[in-house]
Amino acid sequence: MIAMIGMVISTLKAQNVYFTKDAKINFNSSTPLEDITAETNQGTTFIDISKNEVKFSVLTTSFKFRRALMEEHFNENYMESSKNKDFAKAKFSGVITTPVDWKNEKKTNVEIKGDFTMHGVTKQITVQAQITPGKSAITASAEFHIVPQEYNISIPAAVKDKIAKEVVIKVDANYSPFQH
Amino acid sequence: MTKKRSLRILFWIILTGSLIAVGAIYYIFNMPRRDLANEKAAYQLEAKQLISEFKSDENSSTTKYLDKAISVRGEIKSIRTLENHVVVFSLEDAMEGVSCTVDSAESVRYAVQLEKFRIGSTAKFKGRCSGMLMDVQLINCVPE
Repeated sequence: MIAMIGMVISTLKAQNVYFTKDAKINFNSSTPLEDITAETNQGTTFIDISKNEVKFSVLTTSFKFRRALMEEHFNENYMESSKNKDFAKAKFSGVITTPVDWKNEKKTNVEIKGDFTMHGVTKQITVQAQITPGKSAITASAEFHIVPQEYNISIPAAVKDKIAKEVVIKVDANYSPFQH
Repeated sequence: MTKKRSLRILFWIILTGSLIAVGAIYYIFNMPRRDLANEKAAYQLEAKQLISEFKSDENSSTTKYLDKAISVRGEIKSIRTLENHVVVFSLEDAMEGVSCTVDSAESVRYAVQLEKFRIGSTAKFKGRCSGMLMDVQLINCVPE
């Protein structure tokens, strides 16, 4: 009986969780001197609609740049991806602070507050996002800005004018119900 | 006469030198991407083994495998086609297995070979390891 209740609870829980492993993330740190953009479609993310929780993670080496050399610099000099498992990824864990009616299939502007970790440094950030609940899917998009220096990423003086002080990060995700 | 001659030699040395330098800078700047098809795998192993190594010690596995060309073999558990013909094959476990991403160019180049892959069939991919999230990820994959 207890086992049955446990099973019911765990299925209830699973129904509240949506996920995707193919979230699209791109960032832009272009300046008039250099066009720097990168993209990946390998973001893994979860939304728990019962707790309004959002989790996001991506491996930094999965980002593709216009030039192979940029990829090398990004991973070796700036992100130091191979240093350890924490440097190899960027993570976000937060809570949607704006009320969302998950039964209403309407695009909603929300604010998500949480911890963003990159290059081994964690900072609290606020992300503006748009969420559209659906019958069996949720789509979401978000945009936020980060300052590389705040994450202990030092940019050499020689290329300082080529890389933007603030990096714009955009996220697009189509979530499906999580079944495990 | 000798002065003129040495000046001429100097001129040619500087010219050749600067041409080489410009060429080298141009090459580095437009360095081609790694083509996994022409790269020898640094490690060759079963998908199951790679998963268990990462699960038992993610930190040392990340340092060991990150950015290395790895060849893995395993049973296909899921196939996802994303935009621009990018295809993701999950080996051994759809959620926590090894995910092998084949980019648009390669999915066209190896279309005949990839079409034979079904859920349940055993496949071998060579790719660049980018670490572990839920699954161990291999990118820029080519079928073997």
